[in-house]
Amino acid sequence: MFVSQSMTRDVITIDKDANIFEAKDKMAKHRIRHLPIVAKDNRIIGIVSDRDIRSALPCSLLKDYDTGKAREKLLDFKIKDIMIIDPFTVSLSYTIQDALMLMQKTRVGAFPVVDEQGRIKGIISTRDLLRSFINVLGIEEPGTLLCIIVEEKIGQLKKIVDVITEENISFGSVLVARCWDEGKRAVFPYLLTKNVSRVKSKLKKMGYSLLDPTEWYIDDVS
Amino acid sequence: MNKTGFLYDKKYLLHDTGPYHPEVPARLKAIYSGIKDANLLSMLTLISASSADLKWIETVHERDYINRFKEACLAGKKIFDSQDNQICPETYDTALLAVGGILDTIDLIMKNKIDNAFCAVRPPGHHAEINKAMGFCYFNNVAIAARYLQKEWDIKKVGIVDFDVHHGNGTQHIFEQDPSVFYYSIHQHPSFGYPGTGREFEKGSGPGYEFTLNSPVLPDKGDSEYKKLFENNLFVAFKTFKPEVIIASTGFDAHVDDDMSNIKLSTEGFSWIMEKIVEMASSYSNGRLISVLEGGYSLKRLPELAKNHVEILLGTGTK
Repeated sequence: MFVSQSMTRDVITIDKDANIFEAKDKMAKHRIRHLPIVAKDNRIIGIVSDRDIRSALPCSLLKDYDTGKAREKLLDFKIKDIMIIDPFTVSLSYTIQDALMLMQKTRVGAFPVVDEQGRIKGIISTRDLLRSFINVLGIEEPGTLLCIIVEEKIGQLKKIVDVITEENISFGSVLVARCWDEGKRAVFPYLLTKNVSRVKSKLKKMGYSLLDPTEWYIDDVS
Repeated sequence: MNKTGFLYDKKYLLHDTGPYHPEVPARLKAIYSGIKDANLLSMLTLISASSADLKWIETVHERDYINRFKEACLAGKKIFDSQDNQICPETYDTALLAVGGILDTIDLIMKNKIDNAFCAVRPPGHHAEINKAMGFCYFNNVAIAARYLQKEWDIKKVGIVDFDVHHGNGTQHIFEQDPSVFYYSIHQHPSFGYPGTGREFEKGSGPGYEFTLNSPVLPDKGDSEYKKLFENNLFVAFKTFKPEVIIASTGFDAHVDDDMSNIKLSTEGFSWIMEKIVEMASSYSNGRLISVLEGGYSLKRLPELAKNHVEILLGTGTK
């Protein structure tokens, strides 16, 4: 689960001397929100986001804001005037979890991924991480989500996995989450099958309570 | 009273899914006994199975897939494409008989011999993709029926209403770019139920954009949510689309006593749904309505649900 496997490798960059409209058009064309700026040796020197572009441009509600004289004036401004210098970067060996935590902490939407020399190797954005998460959850494959409430003690998950395996059912994913009931956990196996009635009744017979997954979401787990 | 057809054949029991599978022959027996015990058989036009010509299967499925399915059955394989799809040597022939029976039923409707019909067939079809079996389904019965209506009977606009508790991914994908077939599905929300598709934002694509409509329902919501979504989504869509024939993908598995889902639809809720579909057929499609069985696994509830279903098609049911 390294960033290097989930990042976008073909990075769209922009020259530091390009004007703001070029950056705006490039973002629109490629449907992206971040453009790194690199030096000749591919070392990262800055990044510009669509928000930087928007705040550099006049209000789009104003008449002729990007035509005629107004545009001429704006053409004088270069990307290097608005770019974030020395942006947050992550290394190729960062894990997906590292990137998620850093995003949460810094509130930055994309990190250039760099090698040991600081040369750009890729970019990882919220969109790449979302894609990884869809992948990890297995939800692009057909399946059924269960929610099982278990005592918080060693060996619970094994019993559940054993029952599901006995039924010859494959796992898309398993999430374990806190539960409002102290000393209990909610286990969410995403099973790659339509046929869950037998496994459900087996789990019930073993004494587990099966919850409607919506009930868990509605409760405020603090 | 309507002239209603009833497609049923003991041959549909031959598809054996082995032990521990919910899609069992007993489902059809339960449906048949519910209708028979209510003395409805004499009021129905009884239709029996006949094998479909492969050319109709090929209007939907790839030839390689059909051959692969046939060979798996002949070779005595137990599973086809996924663990969910338990097969036996007779499965392929039974699937052809299901389609053939439905196509014969369509002929009767189009020749005005009957007004509408309930096709109690196995195996079900709405999960079957062009080249992949899924969720107990092999040939997409309803999709082939729609193509048959268009090609054999020159029907321009087919409306499909799928109220099985699972989203009919196969049917949706087959028609998602096709504005001549409107696919509406109401089902348990894909984050909680198989197959994980049928989200609200799936609306078709290209020329078929907005000719697919999905109403996902959260667990526990039951009758009131179904009524609200039918009224706000389906009624509005069909009022504009005006299907010339309506096909219902009928699943009884949203029932409160069916452990395949947590939707908790009541018996009365199912009657309401069917009454509304019959009403739409009489408003838009000259009454032409073909109901094709998909899921429904509560052997205890199926007799009553099937009886009510048929009574509503006949026009003698509860109002």
